[in-house]
Amino acid sequence: MSGKKENSMLEIHGLCASVEGTEILRGIDLEVKAGEVHAIMGPNGSGKSTLANVLAGREEYLVDAGTVQYNGIDLLELSAEERACEGIFLAFQYPVSIPGISNAYFLRSALNAIRRYREESEIDAVDFLELVRSRMDLVGMDEKLLHRSVNDGFSGGEKKRNEILQMAVLDPTLAILDETDSGLDIDALRIVAEGVNKLRKQERAIIVVTHYQRLLDYIVPDQVHVLSEGKIVRSGDKSLALELEKEGYSWLQADDARAGNNA
Amino acid sequence: MVAETWSKQVQTSSLTFDDQGTELKRRRQRALEQFEQHRFPGRKHEEWRYTPLSRLAAGPCAPLLESSQEIPFCPDLPGDMLAKVVIVNGEFRADLSDLSRLPSAIRVQSLAQLRHSDPDQLASLLDLYWTQDSHPFHDLSDALLDDGVHIEVVEEGAKIDAPIHILHVLDGQARAGSAHVTGLIQLAAGAQLQLVEEIRSVGEVLGNLRWGVGLDPRSILKRVRAFRPECASIYHGTRVVQQQDSRFEDLFCSSGGELIRNELHVSHEGTGCHCDLLGAYAGRGKNHLDHHTTIDHKVEDCTSKEIYRGVLSDQARGVFSGMIHVHPDAQRTDAKQSNDTILLSEGAEADTRPRLEIYADDVKCTHGATIGALDEDAIFYLRSRGVSPDEARKILVRAFTSVVFHGLEDRQLSDFIADEIQQSIDPQGTDHE
Ligand SMILES: Nc1ncnc2c1ncn2[C@@H]1O[C@H](COP(=O)(O)OP(=O)(O)OP(=O)(O)O)[C@@H](O)[C@H]1O
Ligand SMILES: [Mg+2]
Repeated sequence: MSGKKENSMLEIHGLCASVEGTEILRGIDLEVKAGEVHAIMGPNGSGKSTLANVLAGREEYLVDAGTVQYNGIDLLELSAEERACEGIFLAFQYPVSIPGISNAYFLRSALNAIRRYREESEIDAVDFLELVRSRMDLVGMDEKLLHRSVNDGFSGGEKKRNEILQMAVLDPTLAILDETDSGLDIDALRIVAEGVNKLRKQERAIIVVTHYQRLLDYIVPDQVHVLSEGKIVRSGDKSLALELEKEGYSWLQADDARAGNNA
Repeated sequence: MVAETWSKQVQTSSLTFDDQGTELKRRRQRALEQFEQHRFPGRKHEEWRYTPLSRLAAGPCAPLLESSQEIPFCPDLPGDMLAKVVIVNGEFRADLSDLSRLPSAIRVQSLAQLRHSDPDQLASLLDLYWTQDSHPFHDLSDALLDDGVHIEVVEEGAKIDAPIHILHVLDGQARAGSAHVTGLIQLAAGAQLQLVEEIRSVGEVLGNLRWGVGLDPRSILKRVRAFRPECASIYHGTRVVQQQDSRFEDLFCSSGGELIRNELHVSHEGTGCHCDLLGAYAGRGKNHLDHHTTIDHKVEDCTSKEIYRGVLSDQARGVFSGMIHVHPDAQRTDAKQSNDTILLSEGAEADTRPRLEIYADDVKCTHGATIGALDEDAIFYLRSRGVSPDEARKILVRAFTSVVFHGLEDRQLSDFIADEIQQSIDPQGTDHE
């Protein structure tokens, strides 16, 4: 693993963001290198999805301070669609359903948009189908879902698998998986995690947001971070997740109290 | 003043017809008088309250000249058609039509032919569909009755598999003007027929198209109407008379038009009838798209389903007025109606008026109307996958209108039309000041 990669793929410094006037991220620092998997954990409402959405370019979240460099470019300057075309992918915690548009049409529109951005030719229907089929195998998804409306009437687990299918087809450089494990049954969790593992590669980084150590048994992270009240309060290796599983987040209050006393 | 011009023009033009049948003559004369008296009703008239007929009255009333070009203006519709009927500026053009593959079960002739060979039959057919109540467009059609098409499936139980393509070309390039077309369709018992009607126009034109449709017991007519992009001003009216267990399926599609007035009147005369009235439309600029439908459930055990979906940008206006009339004998009627509109701009406007008149007690009637915007979460979802906001909106427009295309078996045709509607919207919804 000893490479000469001194440059990070993603460098976040002092990132503060708010929504509707409420401050949610309060100074995030995070570095992710190509090939790495980082896990972000933390209590409900601590800002994990907010961080994921800010990285994906959702405009409701205002960036108040800080910088985000992605492969040497200023990510915050790009629109959501430009970020996607540059290789950022967010698997939604709550995937949106779009009645009336088939999954296949959706995926092909996305893939072609990205290919046009990269000045590649659009993919034709036959090649597309072949690609999608091979990727569906990877995530263990039923082909019937390809012809149904996007996430419309999908079960919770089907929606999450569908997110991973999109990731597998769109082939991102940085994938952010926001609670892709929640809602999956035990077998589905294993299949999806194995799918994600197959998508791990040297040129790709993955950030997984999760509440459960179980996922990290499959997708072993290089680093684990704990987000609390908009800040990363602890970072460590995979053993940190095990520790959290045992102890929960009660120590956070203790830390707070200590911080309060010191102030 | 403008209306003056119209009635003068109509007077002069109507003199050029030398009708043989006395009934036809009487009809023409009566229509002439009615038009002279009422002309284009103003906004005070209930049926025309939301329709800016003054725009038409100011428009071209002279007859259109013969079209110079071949069949112009836009790419052909895809699909395998059994036959093609081409009507250019109101005239049935045998030279451009292709009826060579028609089976003997079906007869197609020009209305002009019928007018000459059997004016009395024509007059009695007209009586089936158009009473002599005053209606500006039907009066014009009667006063200027000239050409069109007469389609008859004469053999009982004949199933015509591929559609007949009816192409109206309205070409005002040589001179602005109007054209008046009457179409008559009769299906024998148990017969099945599909029509793809296409309307193309260029230049300043008023098209006045009306159809009378008679469906004998157990017959099925499926019709798609494609108003191609940049449509001029069109009145399109259809009267359908359905006998027992017959079925009428209509799909109206428009990717915009100066002023389109779409009138449908379906009358269920026999038990067990069904009709589907579906529509998808997109308006931009100052387009005005106006739908007036009436379903007369006269007898028991009939059903109807009506779904109209529109997307309006700029300062376009959509009007939907849907009457469901359940007569006292029409027990166990099941009627569904909905009209949903998406407004892409502040300046766009939709008026929707479901009207139910129910005089039977054991009936199921549902109606609903929504006016809304595109789902911002869905737009972001698409953007997060690399799709530009404009394309995302277009995709969502397609998603929104897709429900009306479900029943269309020819996927190629439905994709083509759905694409055309999708491409014609103004995704920014910009208000041009
Ligand atoms: N659009 C919004 N409008 C108002 N408040 C918001 C919005 N989005 C997030 N918040 C608030 O910001 C805080 C952080 O939310 P976020 O979704 O980032 O938490 P999370 O860490 O992902 O939680 P969970 O583990 O429950 O998914 C919460 O208090 C939430 O209510
Ligand atoms: Mg979350």
